Amino acid sequence: MSRVVEASRAPALERAHRPFAWGRLREFVEREAVFSWLMFTPPVLFLLAFLGYPFFYGVYLSFFRREVAGPATFVGLGNFVKLADDPIFWQSIGNTIKFTAAATVLKALGGLGMALVMNQNFRMKALTRAMLLLPFIVPTVLSTVAWQWIFDPGLGLFNRLLVVSGLTKTGVSWLGTPTMAMISIIIVNTWRGLPFFGISILAGLQTIPVELHESATIDGAGSWGRFRYVTLPSLLPVIFIVTTFSIIFTFFDFQLVYVLTGGGPANSTHLMATYAYSLSMGAGQMGLGSAVALSMVPVLGLLLVLLTFYVRKA
Amino acid sequence: MAQPIPSEPSRRDFLKLAAGAAGAAGVVGAPWVARKVQAKPTTIVFARESSYVKNFDEHFQKVMIPAYQKATGIKIDYQIQAAGGSAVPQLVSMVENKSGADLAWVQQEWLYRDALVDVSDIAEAVGKEQGGWYEEIKALSVDNGKWKSVPQANIGQCMVYRKDWFEEAGIKSFPETWDEFLEAGIKLKAKGHPYGMSMGHGFADNYSWLYPLLWSYGVTVMDKTGKKVALDTNETAKAVDYVRKLYKEACIEDCVGWLDPHNNKAFLTSQISCTNNAYSIMVSAKRDLPEMGKVVDHALNPKGPNGQRYHSLVPVTHGVFAYGPDPQAAKDFLRWIMDPKQYRPWISSGDMYFAPYLHAFDKFPDWDIEPRVKPYQKVLETGKLTSWPAPANRAHGAVINRWVVIDMFSKACTGAPTKTVIAEAVGQLKQIYGVA
Repeated sequence: MSRVVEASRAPALERAHRPFAWGRLREFVEREAVFSWLMFTPPVLFLLAFLGYPFFYGVYLSFFRREVAGPATFVGLGNFVKLADDPIFWQSIGNTIKFTAAATVLKALGGLGMALVMNQNFRMKALTRAMLLLPFIVPTVLSTVAWQWIFDPGLGLFNRLLVVSGLTKTGVSWLGTPTMAMISIIIVNTWRGLPFFGISILAGLQTIPVELHESATIDGAGSWGRFRYVTLPSLLPVIFIVTTFSIIFTFFDFQLVYVLTGGGPANSTHLMATYAYSLSMGAGQMGLGSAVALSMVPVLGLLLVLLTFYVRKA
Repeated sequence: MAQPIPSEPSRRDFLKLAAGAAGAAGVVGAPWVARKVQAKPTTIVFARESSYVKNFDEHFQKVMIPAYQKATGIKIDYQIQAAGGSAVPQLVSMVENKSGADLAWVQQEWLYRDALVDVSDIAEAVGKEQGGWYEEIKALSVDNGKWKSVPQANIGQCMVYRKDWFEEAGIKSFPETWDEFLEAGIKLKAKGHPYGMSMGHGFADNYSWLYPLLWSYGVTVMDKTGKKVALDTNETAKAVDYVRKLYKEACIEDCVGWLDPHNNKAFLTSQISCTNNAYSIMVSAKRDLPEMGKVVDHALNPKGPNGQRYHSLVPVTHGVFAYGPDPQAAKDFLRWIMDPKQYRPWISSGDMYFAPYLHAFDKFPDWDIEPRVKPYQKVLETGKLTSWPAPANRAHGAVINRWVVIDMFSKACTGAPTKTVIAEAVGQLKQIYGVA
């Protein structure tokens, strides 16, 4: 009996005493099923830890009356019902939609123009391209502080230009009226987001085969015709994806409004992100603030679904 | 956070012993025993918003911290938080995560009083040895009969104005009433020197004149119990109409959207003749713009129709977080800094930018060094918390952080009718306080 047992254990013992087999490990790792999981797991864990946890905690909080350092009381949809009666909440939704729509359209048009210009050959092209990326590179808080000075009523660049050029006798109150404050934050967001569009569309432009333009020219198309029937259709997938991403980024914008206006005057620039922040971190109403933040999810979720469908189709 | 000295018996070691002893004796009182033999911390983290007065921070860092370290062997990690509204979110985050600091300048402490330890022993001892506390500050620091923070000082908010421009406009002394203030403002604006009265989403310079103005019209936001909205009155309408007129006829257009740094910047660049601020403008002017430094002056807020003048308190209070590893060590440090031996030179180093809520300082000689600072001492006599006369609680915090009253005025200035802005503010107050 014992001999039989000994014999059955022999291969296992042999394997255990064999030197570590790097080759076998490599073979194991290089299996497609294993390798893909190895690559997939770290980002998933990262996303779960830094995006998933806060997101689900936010969802959890939105169903509770929960104040800083206080106990949580389940209120179901109570926070959302409360928000439905809150005029600032509705105002912040309106502001966010206006802000996102205007800034995205301006960035898309400006970015397209920027890309078309950058696609031409001219001296110092590389340097100019690098310079155009600056708004994207500079930290938002830093550039927004600079914009505070640019919008200054007396010493600001814009008002100096307006007064010195004789266009107006006195400067414009850039941050002092609800309309101008909204226009000002749209200007800053557009300035900051333009390079993202410009560089992405430029990359798209450079993938369009020259032959298409040559064929169109032979067929008698002018500059506008080539742009309308060759360039624009070829760029549409890029423009669609960049625009979708930009809508998401703009919808979530927080820093520039927080630094420039704090959501004022009279809540005219309060976006959903700044309102959620002021409720949670300022007023300490974590549940209510989470409910505001969560209200953004359906819109963004819809965009994400659209984007996914489009990418799959493409 | 406070860290134990490794060379001494660690808390873990002790807990093992205590748990064993408690288990053997069947006693459940181990935590009390743990407190008694707890290892001395190596570091205490103290978080405070940076001061506009450089000497004040320097005195703390270069004189007080080394002295405490020398006397106790405990290192003080002084974490300076950026000024301008970012300290509250940082504190909220610390409290939520139960980490970050052992004690702090607990701004808007109503948000997290439950996370603060009882410091009545310190506050009462300090009050006893230094002439007693100003009554109003107790409404903030005392909660359910217990001191949850020890008041350090008030950052006074007054009218800051250009004396030379006022004199050029024929105004010999600062207006005594809000009506005279408007009259003077019209003259100054005509001469190209408008007022710049902040009305945006800041945290001090807007509240510091709009609330006192409202109070001086005989109006409070809530009643004393905090259970009834008191804002819906004819006097409120008069105050709103006054502010609209002041804005249109005497102010720079931008000020309706200003955050706290904006009026400092506008004053120092000679764009406005008057604003409501701490005396940081004079500090900057004397340091960087000596000519302007000579003509900046301060005055108390004007009186209203009820014949009274009011000021808004901006309290600096220190609290100890209950979740820290050794709150008693942090309390010991707090007691030490409030001892007159440390506290008086510290206050002196700040050139009275920080005005103590203790009556022993009523005749403090430093108040006489710069006569233009004197109004900031007087602020304590007529100063009220923004919650006044209601309790300073979470609901009041929501009103402040949602700028309910400030926006009532700013909406009126940007075109909304008086009745509408009051009705909207009242509606928000009812929702926040949960009252009918």
